[in-house]
Amino acid sequence: MIETLLTLAAVLIAVLLAVGKVPLGYTLRSLTVRWRTTLLTALAFTAMVTLLIAMLAFVNGMKIMTEGTGVPGNVMILADGATDEAFSNLSVADLTEIESEPAIVTWQGRPMVSRETYLVVNQMIPNSSPGRPQRRFLQLRGLDDPLMAARVHEISLQSGTWFSDAGVRELKEDAYGEVKGATLIEAVLGEGVARELGRDRTPEQLAHARNRQRLDVGDTFKLGNRLWLVVGVMRSSGSTFNSEIWAKRALIAAIFGKDTYTTLVVRTADEQSAAAFCQFLKEKYTKAPVSPQVEKNYYASLQETNKQFLVAIIFITIVMSVGGVFGIMNTMFAAVNQRIKDIGVLRLIGYAPEHVLVAILLESLLIAMLGGIFGCALGSLCHGMSATSVVAGVGMGKSVALQLTVDSTIYAVAILLTLVLGILGGLLPGLSAMRLKPLEALR
Amino acid sequence: MKFLLLILRNIRRNLLRSVLTALGTMVLVLVVTLVWSILMLLDLITAEKSENVKVLVTEKWSIPSRLPMSYANTLAQGAAIDPDDVRPLDWMTWQFYGGSTEKDKITRESLIFAIATDPSKVLTMLDGMEGLTPEEEQLVQLYVERMKTNLQGIILGANHLRNTNKRIGERIKLYGMGNFKGLDLEFEIVGVFPPGRYDTLAAFHSEYFARAFDAYERDHGGRKHPLAERSLNLVWLKVADTAAFNRVAAQIENSPYYTNPAVKCETASSGYAAFMDAFRDLVFFMRWYLTTACIVSLAMIIANAISISVRERRMEFAVLKVLGFEPAHIMLLVLGEALMIGAGAGLASAALTYTLINHVMGGLPLQLGFFSRFFIPVESLFWGPYIGGGAALAGSILPAWSACRVKVVDVFSKVA
Repeated sequence: MIETLLTLAAVLIAVLLAVGKVPLGYTLRSLTVRWRTTLLTALAFTAMVTLLIAMLAFVNGMKIMTEGTGVPGNVMILADGATDEAFSNLSVADLTEIESEPAIVTWQGRPMVSRETYLVVNQMIPNSSPGRPQRRFLQLRGLDDPLMAARVHEISLQSGTWFSDAGVRELKEDAYGEVKGATLIEAVLGEGVARELGRDRTPEQLAHARNRQRLDVGDTFKLGNRLWLVVGVMRSSGSTFNSEIWAKRALIAAIFGKDTYTTLVVRTADEQSAAAFCQFLKEKYTKAPVSPQVEKNYYASLQETNKQFLVAIIFITIVMSVGGVFGIMNTMFAAVNQRIKDIGVLRLIGYAPEHVLVAILLESLLIAMLGGIFGCALGSLCHGMSATSVVAGVGMGKSVALQLTVDSTIYAVAILLTLVLGILGGLLPGLSAMRLKPLEALR
Repeated sequence: MKFLLLILRNIRRNLLRSVLTALGTMVLVLVVTLVWSILMLLDLITAEKSENVKVLVTEKWSIPSRLPMSYANTLAQGAAIDPDDVRPLDWMTWQFYGGSTEKDKITRESLIFAIATDPSKVLTMLDGMEGLTPEEEQLVQLYVERMKTNLQGIILGANHLRNTNKRIGERIKLYGMGNFKGLDLEFEIVGVFPPGRYDTLAAFHSEYFARAFDAYERDHGGRKHPLAERSLNLVWLKVADTAAFNRVAAQIENSPYYTNPAVKCETASSGYAAFMDAFRDLVFFMRWYLTTACIVSLAMIIANAISISVRERRMEFAVLKVLGFEPAHIMLLVLGEALMIGAGAGLASAALTYTLINHVMGGLPLQLGFFSRFFIPVESLFWGPYIGGGAALAGSILPAWSACRVKVVDVFSKVA
């Protein structure tokens, strides 16, 4: 759709250039003569387009993240009636039965399944600055077998290792403010949450940090009255796992009092097999009532928030665009007023009224484009910035760290909007210039 | 007065330009007003109060918080043991319940999220009830009375009523979802919350919830519902001031009653702040970038209009100087025009936004955290002129400076 509209816009400009008999140099000259007005109007457009790009980059980042999470062949099984991992409780007996289904593919002779307990927990923020919240929500995923979970979710490590079978590490000497023999819980962090937790460090801690941007292997953090040791950081950018902490399920269950599984993720051969397995679990599987979903569909359903933001952005853009149109109209009406005699002369030397209209439209388009291109350049600076937000579907939602993503579609939307506003802003002044009678204009 | 008339005449002289500038100002002030209204509410709920402090008691680590119902009575007393311990002024318990109006399907429309509570606490403890109009308060009081006498009574949020296409007096069945599977509840709709804060929340009698758990146990051969033991989600307390809060918090957090699970005590505003922290980048963007971009665009539009006007009137300014006007007078004249357009359009925009959003649309529908609808505060009637006027002044300083520096000789020599 965007491509079609862009093509239409390009055709429109080509037609204007082809139809316009008034030399383009005249149009450019009139813009440079009134450079202050041109610049001010263009700057208003720049502010608007920059804002639009930043807002769309945010929504795009969310969309990419929710669509990018999940593996096509994976099926996510929650308790019957649960819409969200946080509200799900699965019994071990039910899991065992499902895991023996033939549709599940195997790896090294074992079914590719991941038993998980997803939890949202409170963390008291150390060194919280005044006026900032004293606690934050963290997402924990307790796993029985991290290697299998990583294979099922296709997540790899950026640095470090997965947590050990015991899930804890005993201190060989006094360290981290703990005495020799104390046990630290091993945790693997998503990059986003590692960055978030890394912000809690004091300047002194930062001065000696292995990684100043985020927590890294060997760093510690406090959660649930226990000290946690970062043993690995996941390569999870662009997925909701980016904001999760993975650790040994048995330990999490004991610390946070959640002794049931919330999720079973199983791998089938491909997307079609996943859909078929879901259908089977819903309609023919009678051993336990469960709520299966193709994993990709589950994460895609978290885009409800996206839709809301998109509606808000469209509303803000429309309102600001109206302001932009009024601004450019003002400029073009003034330009027509100042050049009434010029227009009279143009008409007398043989230019038709539509040639005058095209000249004014092109002038208005050029101002808008100038602002739009600057806006695109400024807006592109937000590409790659990280932001926190919440993605939600029908359930509780997930707090996520996402990356603002500016892509060609966003540039296309911004340029299209600029062109439309340029045309709209120049149309009325152009029509009024077109109607001028040559002799009256010269009088 | 004559000066003012002169400004007004100048504005009317190029009516098209003035109207376009005013309209541009109005739409941009509209955006800023909407953004500030949302930010103001968020700031208000996250600002710590020093009196009549609401306290939130929840499970210390896990979310959603799940506490044993046996905690309720002692928590309601602020875990006070000794005679000189501080006791809360009022309290309220919340037990969450989520159900769908359709048996095997859960959609945004069919989902109803409700709290089971003591009906008599709805008006005294539910946040936001203190801001109701007398008519709204009377209605809620009526619904509460109905809830007290009808155990199956439920007060729905405005969105629920719209989504389910039901009316007050009709019956509704909810099929428990997720953790609430097996708890299917039948209600009679006895009322609806006033539009705003509780559009997506329903409330019903805690006694009915307790009986539903008992019925589940009876129907399942003595097996309790998985949530039966920990069906209490949070307890609200009201204390006199910050000092009382600190005492009550210490009493609760140090009490031996609440160890498994442990509880935490925080002010409501602190709880809201933690919850809204997930949106902090969005709020930062709205507060600093969106507002700034709007105001900059606005200033540019006004600066453009005024500078065009100044360029067209160089001769007029030269004549005014010949007639004895000082440069400061001319500057004031130009600034006055800009200010009048900016402040006037700003006021009109704020007034229109206030009327449209609050009285025509019934609030701005936007789901942000636990808010689903935002209203424009009456303070916006002051913001409008300030934003419009401020941007107009900022945008017109340079054109006004250029106007007051017009040299009579230069202008007339060009004419000659």
